[in-house]
Amino acid sequence: MKYKSQSVAKLYFVAAIALFVGQILFGLVMGLQYVIGDFLFPEIPFNAARMVHTNLLIVWLLFGFMGSAYYLVPEESERELVAPWLAKLMFWIFLIAGAATVAGYLLVPYAKLAELTMDDLLPTMGREFLEQPTVTKLGIVVVALSFLFSIGMTILKGRKTVVTLVLLIGLTGLAVFFLFAFYNPENLVLDKYYWWWVVHLWVEGVWELILGAILAFILIKTTGVDREVIEKWLYVIIAMTLITGLIGTGHHYYWIGTPDFWQWWGSIFSAMEPIPFFMMTIFAFNMVNRRRRNHPNKAAVLWALGTAVMAFLGAGVWGFLHTLAPVNYYTHGTQITAAHGHMAFYGAYVMIVLAMISYAMPMMRGRKAANSPSSQVVEMWSFWLMTVSMVFITLFLTGAGILQTYLQRYSDQPLDFMTVQDKISLFYWLREIAGVIFLIGLVLYVVSFFVGTDDPEAVEKIEVDAETA
Amino acid sequence: MSETFTKSMARNIFYGGSVFFFLLFLALTFASHQDFPSRDNHEALTETVAKGKRIWETHDCIGCHTLLGEGAYFAPELGNVYERFGNSTEAIKAFIKSRPVDGVPGRRSMPQFNLSDEELEQVAQFLKYASGIKTANNWPPNIKG
Amino acid sequence: MMEKRKQPPGDLAIWIFICAELSVFAAFFAAYAFTRAKHLELFNRYQQTLNTDYALINTLALITSSYFVVRAVAAIREGSQRSCARWLLAAIAMGALFLVVKSMEYQHHFSHGVTLSTNTFYMFYISLTFFHFMHVIMGMVILAAVALKAHAGGYTAERHAGVETGASYWHMVDLVWIILFPLVYVMR
Repeated sequence: MKYKSQSVAKLYFVAAIALFVGQILFGLVMGLQYVIGDFLFPEIPFNAARMVHTNLLIVWLLFGFMGSAYYLVPEESERELVAPWLAKLMFWIFLIAGAATVAGYLLVPYAKLAELTMDDLLPTMGREFLEQPTVTKLGIVVVALSFLFSIGMTILKGRKTVVTLVLLIGLTGLAVFFLFAFYNPENLVLDKYYWWWVVHLWVEGVWELILGAILAFILIKTTGVDREVIEKWLYVIIAMTLITGLIGTGHHYYWIGTPDFWQWWGSIFSAMEPIPFFMMTIFAFNMVNRRRRNHPNKAAVLWALGTAVMAFLGAGVWGFLHTLAPVNYYTHGTQITAAHGHMAFYGAYVMIVLAMISYAMPMMRGRKAANSPSSQVVEMWSFWLMTVSMVFITLFLTGAGILQTYLQRYSDQPLDFMTVQDKISLFYWLREIAGVIFLIGLVLYVVSFFVGTDDPEAVEKIEVDAETA
Repeated sequence: MSETFTKSMARNIFYGGSVFFFLLFLALTFASHQDFPSRDNHEALTETVAKGKRIWETHDCIGCHTLLGEGAYFAPELGNVYERFGNSTEAIKAFIKSRPVDGVPGRRSMPQFNLSDEELEQVAQFLKYASGIKTANNWPPNIKG
Repeated sequence: MMEKRKQPPGDLAIWIFICAELSVFAAFFAAYAFTRAKHLELFNRYQQTLNTDYALINTLALITSSYFVVRAVAAIREGSQRSCARWLLAAIAMGALFLVVKSMEYQHHFSHGVTLSTNTFYMFYISLTFFHFMHVIMGMVILAAVALKAHAGGYTAERHAGVETGASYWHMVDLVWIILFPLVYVMR
């Protein structure tokens, strides 16, 4: 850690991990409700558990992005953070607002929460992923603006690198497109059309810029490959991301009352969306193969490579699976979507945040570069447990989705929704088991922070060239 | 002259490409707006329907159901529930009204929201309005949603 | 004599971009051909509402512009900056001619109430030509940037990757039209 103010990132990372645990616990509750319908009913109805599950995900990823920015921006800009006190203050505001919102979801009926937070003044609640009370949304805007201020000022006053520039563009886009969360027209088609400007333009647009910037930073640090090389590939990859992803929004505009031409535009462009993810995979492995050093933090490199592979599989391959309009006609709104969503979020965003935490945390906890080998071994076990179980969650949900699509939408005698759900419950049970293994992996991940803390840290192995040896 | 690959060119392509495709996206958005009036069933968008949308939102219906395929996948699609319930708002109201407070043992069940008759009418009208939206190829593929 | 080289002219980054663009166009063309085969009668009927004369003028305009761009590259290879800028300007003028003629064509269709949703043929016609139309504008912006730099003496006989990069992009725009023209206007 070169600059003192980088340490604010630690707060953000600790909170991110804690909320991640909460997210997974509620995921398991939902998974159980899929097969034991009255589990925790009526105390925690499915929709409440789902709000907690998805909102915690978004909030902890945002904590992760912010922490990553606070850590890497001073180092890239070669100066202390502007107004680190603001970063600390905003952390507590965001955490308290987030906790209060989640408590609201769980403690009072949602309609009561809407009433208490005076949603009628500016109705924005009750839309998927944007369930937060309007006052929370306003809080998010304040936090985002303060965050952009301190990050932006630090970047402007210091050395400007491609990594920080791309990160800043991504974060600014994140804030700008969030504003569409406040647009909630009575016209359902318009509502849905612009709802995607938050959701799609976040996860398949500007978030990918953030992902690219963080990945580039980790690769520069851990491989020692020339910055010029990494930076120009970063530009090319994110260019491809936006070229395909902006019009790719069209794959959400097939069946919601939007014009038919989107079926062509959406299919063609979103069919190209795997390309940048594929490039990212090739890029990451190439850089690691061309490394000039063997960074002692093997766990961080593993997460970085893992995110490149899993983002391609989850976002690229599983996205492509159902993105063409004729396929999507049958799969739209089935478990196929859930399968894709799980692996894409895990691969692209969960893993990049964990990669950054893995890279930065040892330094913030007083290590020179890496944790002790024993801690890293536990962390790498958690990597494999979580990643493999996520692959299985995705496969089981895909199985459920294919059957659901066939039985409910495609066969000659289509069955009722609930009849089909009963028939595919085996897959939900298997998914739940995989989920439990994911939780075990997550527990191991947390444990890895407390293992081998007194051991000496891992050291860089100097590679011996085979020919000269 | 052969092996040129400069950072400045990569940067230009990022900026140029992003702006280009965002403008194209705006153009397609404009074209979509030209078409919305003929498909979005705005004629049926009465004050009751608008209030019904608020009932829909403030009870987080999207947290279990899909509407035109978007939402959670825990409970049936509601974009065509009006047709599935025999083109009857009364049937929709009766269903919502009759949900047991403590659920159904071992089964998924919709919560009892204790909606007033007025609110029931509003949300049922909203679902009727939603079913009138002209989705491409008449999605969903069949009445089961 | 041109020296032989393995790499394409211009910057590698533009070639990645060109490849991406060409694959989008290729997908669109394939979709067009596939859909046309399914609705042959409809496509043939509405194809007759297109103005082939305008499209022919535009084809000639783009081919001429590509020739001018070739001359611009040749000029800079001999170190003639002024001449390079002038040829580029001529190419841009041809691009502008294309835009004017194409706009007249659009004006005709739009005044008859044709939109992307009128029917499948018009969906493809407008999508393909408008997507290409925007590429012409983009290409003109690129050529203008290159011409300005050439005029200011930013290139030499030895170092002129920028000119080749812009030229490559412009040739792609031209190439797409040369496929588009017979496919959408002529083929019956």
